[in-house]
Order: sequence, then C-alpha cells, then structure tokens
Amino acid sequence: MTETKTFDPRIVLDGARIVAVRLDDDLVVQEVAGDWCDVPVGEDVRESVPALIGLEDELAQDLPYLHLPFVTLGDSHETPAAISVQRDWKSGALWLLLRDVSEEAAIQERLVHQHNALSLAQRELSKARDAALAADKAKTRFLANVSHELRTPLNVVIGGASILLKPRKTALPAEDLHAFVRDIHDSGTLLLQLVDDLIDLSRAETGNLALVEEWSHTGVIVEGMVRLAKALPGAEGIEIVQSGDRVELYADPRRVKQILLNLISNAVKACKPGNRIEIATEQREDGCLVLSVCDNGPGMSKAELTIALEPFGQPKAHDAESGTGLGLPIVARLAELHQARFDIATAPGSGLKASVEFPASRLPAAAR
Amino acid sequence: MKAHKIVVLGDFGVGKTSLIRRYVLDQFSDQYRATLGVHLYKHTDTIAVEGMDREVRLVLWDIEGAPLPGEQMMRYALGASGAIIVGDLTRDDMTAPMRGAADMVEARLPGRPISIALNKSDIAPAPDDDLVATLRDRYGASIALTSAKTGDEVPRLFHALGQRIVGAGDGAV
Repeated sequence: MTETKTFDPRIVLDGARIVAVRLDDDLVVQEVAGDWCDVPVGEDVRESVPALIGLEDELAQDLPYLHLPFVTLGDSHETPAAISVQRDWKSGALWLLLRDVSEEAAIQERLVHQHNALSLAQRELSKARDAALAADKAKTRFLANVSHELRTPLNVVIGGASILLKPRKTALPAEDLHAFVRDIHDSGTLLLQLVDDLIDLSRAETGNLALVEEWSHTGVIVEGMVRLAKALPGAEGIEIVQSGDRVELYADPRRVKQILLNLISNAVKACKPGNRIEIATEQREDGCLVLSVCDNGPGMSKAELTIALEPFGQPKAHDAESGTGLGLPIVARLAELHQARFDIATAPGSGLKASVEFPASRLPAAAR
Repeated sequence: MKAHKIVVLGDFGVGKTSLIRRYVLDQFSDQYRATLGVHLYKHTDTIAVEGMDREVRLVLWDIEGAPLPGEQMMRYALGASGAIIVGDLTRDDMTAPMRGAADMVEARLPGRPISIALNKSDIAPAPDDDLVATLRDRYGASIALTSAKTGDEVPRLFHALGQRIVGAGDGAV
C-alpha cells in the first residue's frame, strides 16, 4: 500500500516571515503555524499581541475584519508587523495572521518622514516669512512714527526760533519771549529723550549697553520717581502713591529709574483724572525684590499687550498716546540685563500691573 | 491585571511620541522621527483613583500623525478606552487638527474620556484662557500644558485620563 502525502500549509509557513495563529473564543492560542515570532500556545493571545487589547467586541463578531498595516512594539524595537484577523467561515475558527512588514515599513517610514519633515519645514518657512513681513511693516511704521515724533518738537524749535529771529520794529513782550524760549527748551529736551531712547534700545539689542552697578536705596529711587511722575504732563488729577519696603539693591540706579519712569509714564498716559497709580516695592519671602507700577486705568487685551511688548509695536487703541512704542521694550531689555523678570498683568477694564522682579542675589545677604 | 488601550492622536510633529517616551521611558530626544502606523508601549503605573492607589496596565497607541483623522487613524483607534489628543502650542493652526481628532473620538468612541495635551509649553507662550476653556467644555476634556522636553505635566496628563478610565470601570480586559 502506498502512503498518500497530503500538502500541509504549515510547512510553507515555517521559515517564512509570517505566522498564523488559531484562537478560541476566549482569545486563547490553540495552534500556531510558522515560527517567525513567539506566540505561546495555551496563553491569552493579548499577552504576546497587545494590539488586540480593546478589540474583543470586534473579534467576537461572526465575520470580524481587522487589518492593522503597521504595528510596532515601540519600547522594545520589535519588527513592525501587519496584523489581521479573520474567521474561517467553514470551521468558525478565529485566525490571526502576523506578517513581517519591515521591508515595506522601512520604505514607507522614509516617505512619511520626508513628507512630514518637508511639511514642517514649509510651515517654519511660512512662519519666518510672515514674521519677516511683520517686522518689515513694524519697522516702516516705526520709522514713520519716529519721523513724526522728531518732526513735532523740531517744528516747535524751528517755528519758535524763526519768530524770535524775525526783524520787528518793536520788541516782543517779555512773557511771549519767555514762552517761546520755554517751548524751544522743552522741545529740545523731548528730542534728546527720544534720541536717548533710540540709542538705549539699539545698544541693548546689540548687547552694547553696559550697566554701572552700585548699591542704592530703593526708597530714594522710588520717592524721586513719584515726585517726577506727579509733574508729568497729564498727571493732574491722578492719585500717585508709593508703598512697600525700602531696601538696598545692587543695580544701575539710572537704569532702575528709567524702568520706573517708563512704566509710570505709560500708566499716566493710560489713566484719566480720578484714577490711581501705585508704585510699590515688595520684598518677597523667597528674597526677590519686586518693583511694580499698578494702575486702575483701562488695561489692555492680551493682543494689545503682545503688540506693546514688541519693539516698535503700538496697540491701536493707544496710538494717540503712546509715542514711539519704545518704553516697554526698553524696560524688558533693562530688566533682562539685571537678570530680573519683567511681567505685566492686565485685562481690558481691569487696569495694569507691571512688575520687575530682581533676584535675591541683588539684595544684601542680611536682607535675603 | 486589567489593561486599558489609550490612543494618542494629533497632527504630525506635535510631540506624541515624545510625550509617550517621556512618560514610559523617561527619555527625550530633540531629533524628529516620524511614526509609521502605530507603535505600542506597554506601561504599568500606580494611579490614585478616588483616594486609593491602583495599579493600572496601559497599552499606549502612538498613532501616525495627520492634520485630519483618516480611515487608518480611525481603524487604529477602534476599541480604545480613552484618547489623548496632542496639540503644538508653537503652531498658529494648533486647534484645527485637535478638533478633528476630538470629533473623531466622539463619533467613533462615544463616551470615552479625552485628555488634551497642549505641548511644547517650555518654548511657547501660555495659551489663551478662552481657548483652554472652550476645549475643556466642548469635549469634557482634562487639559495639561505639557513639555515632553522638561517632563512638565506629563505624568498628570496620563494620570488624569487613567483616573477617568479606571473610575468608569470601562474598556478593561
């Protein structure tokens, strides 16, 4: 009698990069054909193929169809597999097929990576282009603004001087003469401040602004600034008060005054008679010193604040009042030079609090 | 022990793989490498649920990113107990891909909790409060401002979702 040889598909699977797994309804492995990966017989298949976790309802269906094209066990760098599940409609057995897709995955992964990297680069490029265009627009606006700011006092100087130079039969009354000279002086002072601001910002931006640091008393600095604030144009009717601790601070006193003056000047511009501005010095428990200027004026929206903090930026609502838009950027740079943190808390209708937080290392050891 | 499938979804390059690797392996790499298909991470963690520490087995599905969810993303998300949706705070167009993924989860995985990661908080300004509130209210999601680079808020992100999944006693094996 001759022996009949039947074809056993499992022989084909041995040595191939594919495994067929027969499961029972509880997802316990009954039989494994192929030796590409280890799927122990008698064990819950979800232990060796965790991708099936959560898919129990899908697998319990009469005709489940599941195909996951690229699945990799991420933390152990296993070979990527294609996972599919089908039910043998004759026997009702559930078959899981695991196929090595490392070659396809290598090609696909390169394609996906290149596509994503290209898209990300395009987005960055587009962002950089938008930023460059915005910066260009901001600089154009700034130049127009600076030109306007320079022209206004220059016109006063030239106009006043022209009147004074004009030959006339009778001399100008003394008080008119004084008024012209005062206007010329004030406009010249304003021009000088503007030019100083421009130079400061330029130096700070290029890293050429050096601090002249020494121990100075915050009480003296703040008192001086409060006096100055009360004399600022537009300060009439605004209550300006000082509060808080008086401590020694190691800093450039001229620059600290400049920080406070810029913040106070902004607050005065934003406020109306009846509003209140508080200039406070607070030593926190962690030893840091916080200088703050807080007003109960109109405040700013987040978008307006973002614009105000950019060099040359001016919130639309404040155009008429805000000069060159250099105040806050200068404060931010000067704070940075002192290793201090500059922060603004504001919301429309809730006033504005600008704080500069000097590190504890800038205070005497005994005060920390 | 019970195991829970969590899918991590979002646009490509937003830091899905980085968040998972920070959480599971406490590793971070600046080098971008695209994910193809799905990478699975098995992780066991102790999560406080209703005042009691519970050991929880998670299977995290790091799914190939896309600006909008396609058929493949939906197929991978099938059977998940919860979803983490990741957005990149440095991108101006952050919300559209997140909403797309969240809408897909609502439609395909109804009732499953969502956690939202607003990622790269170490290099981006804080998001608008209104945006955070809108996402939280619209999807009933817990929100975390994460940084995979520094690890900020990363455990809280996964724990918040784990608590909701385990608390609901849902999707477990």
